[in-house]
Order: sequence, then structure tokens, then C-alpha cells
Amino acid sequence: MSIFHSMNTTASALTAQRLRMDIVSSNMANADTTRAKLVDGEWVPYRRKTVVMEPKESQFSSLLQVAMNTSRDQEVGSGVKVTNILEDETPYELVYDPEHPDANEEGYVQMPNVDPLREMVDLMSATRSYEANVTVLNASKNMLMKALEIGK
Amino acid sequence: MNHVTFSPVSSQFNIQKVEAKPLTPSEAQKSFSSFLKDSIEKVNETQIQSDTLTEKLALGQEVDLHEVMIASQKASVTMQLTLEIRNKAVEAYQEMMRMQV
Repeated sequence: MSIFHSMNTTASALTAQRLRMDIVSSNMANADTTRAKLVDGEWVPYRRKTVVMEPKESQFSSLLQVAMNTSRDQEVGSGVKVTNILEDETPYELVYDPEHPDANEEGYVQMPNVDPLREMVDLMSATRSYEANVTVLNASKNMLMKALEIGK
Repeated sequence: MNHVTFSPVSSQFNIQKVEAKPLTPSEAQKSFSSFLKDSIEKVNETQIQSDTLTEKLALGQEVDLHEVMIASQKASVTMQLTLEIRNKAVEAYQEMMRMQV
């Protein structure tokens, strides 16, 4: 285990939270997008995207070291990674707006299934997680710097 | 940067073996100097990595800001450790020089 194990773990979390933030901004930006992609000659609205996170699997070398009892990397864990970006399959929102270019014969428009309030909550959660991980990183660095003061 | 490991010195020099078959002073010095050289090269690697990441960020290439900051922090910690070791070595040398003959 390297002395920077915790820093590497935190770095993976920061990367994951940044990606979450990117997804939230994409969802927010496309909250009114009615023409995301063309399916069978018809425009389909944007679908809300979500991220799937998993604990980062160790590399073969560290698994081998655990098997040989020379390292504890596997027990400690080595961070998080985003394994997939999925689309939210909840139905689109129907809004009555006959003037809209994408309105159907009855005057209803299919709007994306993005809820701005929910996106704001996700945004706050991602920001707070990022801050928490930065705090962990600083604590980890402070610990190393304190260790260098031993014997002074 | 994962390879910057600091294993106990005993595993590097294998103390039991040294007791069984004593090294000549020149051999011991050689193994120590190569160990020191390797360690300093590893410290330099962290500096280079920090430099390349900073350059990438400045050039606007795809690199996360926190990656750059963490690389520079790692470089800083390893450099501090090197400095502390150097200070200890110089201290030991000066202690020797103060010895009465």
C-alpha cells in the first residue's frame, strides 16, 4: 500500500462527483429540449440521465498481493468509479401548448422528464460530496505533514 | 504515482542476511547509494508528473483540475520528505565532524 493510497481513493471520488455534476448540468440544460434524437422520423424529447457508481475493483496485481498476504489493498478498498450512465425511463411530461412546433393534433407537447427541483438537489449533493472529499484529502495530507514533523 | 512506496528499510537490506555474511564497506555503500538514487528518481518522477499535468491544464487539454492539484500536493509531500531525510543526513555528518580526535 502506497502512502498515497487515501489520496488516490479520494481522487477517484472527486472524479466521480465531477461527472455527476456534468450529468446534472446536461439535464438542466436540456430541461426544455423536445428534439433530442430522431426515432423513426419523429423527434423524441430528451431523457433525464443518471449515473451508476460502483466501488473500484482492484487491479490484478493488488488482488495477487492480497492472496499472498502481502498487502491489504483489497480490504481497504480503492475508491469509486462510475460504471454506467443510464436514462430515466419515467414517462415524458405532457404540456398543453398548441403554438409549439412539436405539438400533436390535440395541442399537447411531450416535454423531457427532467424535474429542475430534483436536479438542484442532485447538484447540491454532488457539491457537498466534492467538498467532503476535499476535506478528506486535506486531512490526509495534514497527517503526512505531521508525520514529517516527528522528531523535530 | 502508485509506485512511490516506502517499505521498511529492513526489507530493502535484509538485515538477517547481512548478519550472516557481512558486506564489505564498499558493497554496503554501493547498495545504499543505489537505493538513495532510486528513491530520488521516484521523487523526481512525481515532480515531472505534476509538471506535465500542469502543462496540460494550461494548454486547455482534457484534464481534471483536482487531478492537477493532487499531483502537485503529492509532489510537495514527497519533496518535503526528501528534504527531511537530507537534513537528517547533514545533521549526522556534522555530528561526526564535531567529534574530538
